[in-house]
Amino acid sequence: MASGVTVADACKKIHEEIKRDKKHRYAIFYIKDGKQIDVELIGARNEEYEDFLTNLQAGGAGECRYGLFDFEYMHQCQGTSESSKKQKLFLISWCPDTASVKKKMVYASSFEYLKKALVGVQKSIQATDLSEASIEAVEEKLRSTDRQ
Amino acid sequence: MSGAVYGGDEVGALVFDLGHNTVRAGYAGEDSPKVDIPSTIGVWLDAEDDVPTTRYNIGLLAIHVWRPEMELVSFLKEGMVENWDMFENFLDHIYNNALRAIPKDHPILLTEPPWITPSKREEMAELMFEKYGVPAVYLAKNASLAAFANGRPTCLVVDSGATHTSAVPVHDGYVLTQAVVKSPVGGDYLSSQCLSHLIERGIEIVPPSMVAWKEVTKPEDTPVWKKRIVPPNLTESWNNFMIKEVMQDFQASVLQVSDVSYDEEIVKTMPAIHYEFPNGYHRDFGVERFKIPEPLFNPTTGAKAGIQPILGVGSLVTTSVGMCDIDIRPAMYGSVVVTGGNSSLQGFTDRLNRDLATKTPPSMRLKIISAPGVSERRFGAWTGGSILSSLGSFQQLWVSKQEYEETGKVIVQSKCL
Ligand SMILES: Nc1ncnc2c1ncn2[C@@H]1O[C@H](COP(=O)(O)OP(=O)(O)OP(=O)(O)O)[C@@H](O)[C@H]1O
Ligand SMILES: [Mg+2]
Repeated sequence: MASGVTVADACKKIHEEIKRDKKHRYAIFYIKDGKQIDVELIGARNEEYEDFLTNLQAGGAGECRYGLFDFEYMHQCQGTSESSKKQKLFLISWCPDTASVKKKMVYASSFEYLKKALVGVQKSIQATDLSEASIEAVEEKLRSTDRQ
Repeated sequence: MSGAVYGGDEVGALVFDLGHNTVRAGYAGEDSPKVDIPSTIGVWLDAEDDVPTTRYNIGLLAIHVWRPEMELVSFLKEGMVENWDMFENFLDHIYNNALRAIPKDHPILLTEPPWITPSKREEMAELMFEKYGVPAVYLAKNASLAAFANGRPTCLVVDSGATHTSAVPVHDGYVLTQAVVKSPVGGDYLSSQCLSHLIERGIEIVPPSMVAWKEVTKPEDTPVWKKRIVPPNLTESWNNFMIKEVMQDFQASVLQVSDVSYDEEIVKTMPAIHYEFPNGYHRDFGVERFKIPEPLFNPTTGAKAGIQPILGVGSLVTTSVGMCDIDIRPAMYGSVVVTGGNSSLQGFTDRLNRDLATKTPPSMRLKIISAPGVSERRFGAWTGGSILSSLGSFQQLWVSKQEYEETGKVIVQSKCL
């Protein structure tokens, strides 16, 4: 079951620009008029995860958002001393506990459409509080899918 | 949008959430249901006419009247409509008396349990289109609605209602039906456990409407009260329902789930709760506050007669997660959404948290999510349906009358996922 909300082409375009061209670090999406998921903000390549988190919450405690972030971390291959830089693109739905049921409902029932539209996103994360959206929590989730 | 799609959004939809304790009904877009009506209804034979006819008493007041030979029965079984004739009468009551709404003016969203059968869904669609002439129908899984209302399209929903407690994995909003686990134990089970416990202690339970007057007595003293003169042939089912209502109040006021496995020495030190019954008898309740609900979490702790739990709530969750694809197990433990009226029992979520913390694999994070208020837990699915069906984008998802007529009732299987 889902909401019937659509995804604006701009979302797919930005996703491609991040994924393929590494043009931006992140993007924040919102649901416009309860009908369509659209791009709200684009984060430059040199911005940090903290900037992303701040912007994800910029609407205040009562607002929900989606975010797409190109995450980088060092990965150590087993049995070697070499480590390599990994890049993983993840999608996050931010539905804080403090948001109204209405907001949670709309964002939660539309997340699927965004996931389907942004082909090739490696991981999607649901967060209802900061402990789930923190850099540590996100890194842990992304690492959990690495081969050990 | 094609012509077949339901396009009339000038009049709001109606939302009905069917439960064994009550049916919640109201207008889409509102925060809470307009009415919350017992799904137990009174059935009696009217012999006034030459041909005796079956009559129904529906609604809280109507089922409380002293009508000789009136049986109180439910039209539901396992969360699905079992007696369609009674259900129709119930719907008539909601439309005509409770909401004063004209069926053909409003699309209708109805909730259904995760284990609904395809034939029950089709029967429902058929009834709504053929008998009521509604313009559009949507059948929504109550667990998906609860998941969304808590901001989690992927989660494990623990729903503890009146007749059962279930663990339902939801992935991207869709119920993973093959991994649903349920136990026939919920609030009704606790009501019956409370009753056997109190009877064993020699405490008489009298429904409030049967008490003409009562005197103030000291705690634990024999109550001094007088019974009302009531018709002699009130039925046993009527009486049982009236007593269940007293028990529901008792369990919400007195019971508490111990936060660790029940230990008499520990709970002895917990504060007692004073409770007064309708006939004036009153006393403190101590260890039994914890002892009675313990089988819900720990079935080996010897419950009294009747249906017995086999799996505690924690085991329902672990069993269900164990049946899910290995890739999504972390997401399930990471989002356990607790809902249903019986989960408002004091200590319910804390205990579930404790039990699961010991069973969750160390590599996975556990997170329990629940709405704080009693009414949010009881109305979670209704409110979810209300919001969803009032969204402009949802209009294309309805099964329209035209689609129903063109494709037949099977249309609900492909459109209401
Ligand atoms: N505050 C409370 N504390 C404890 N139990 C409560 C409380 N409020 C309601 N209940 C119990 O919750 C149950 C009703 O819950 P709910 O409304 O979720 O059930 P339902 O959906 O009608 O039934 P079902 O899910 O079995 O079809 C009743 O057994 C009632 O006694
Ligand atoms: Mg229920």
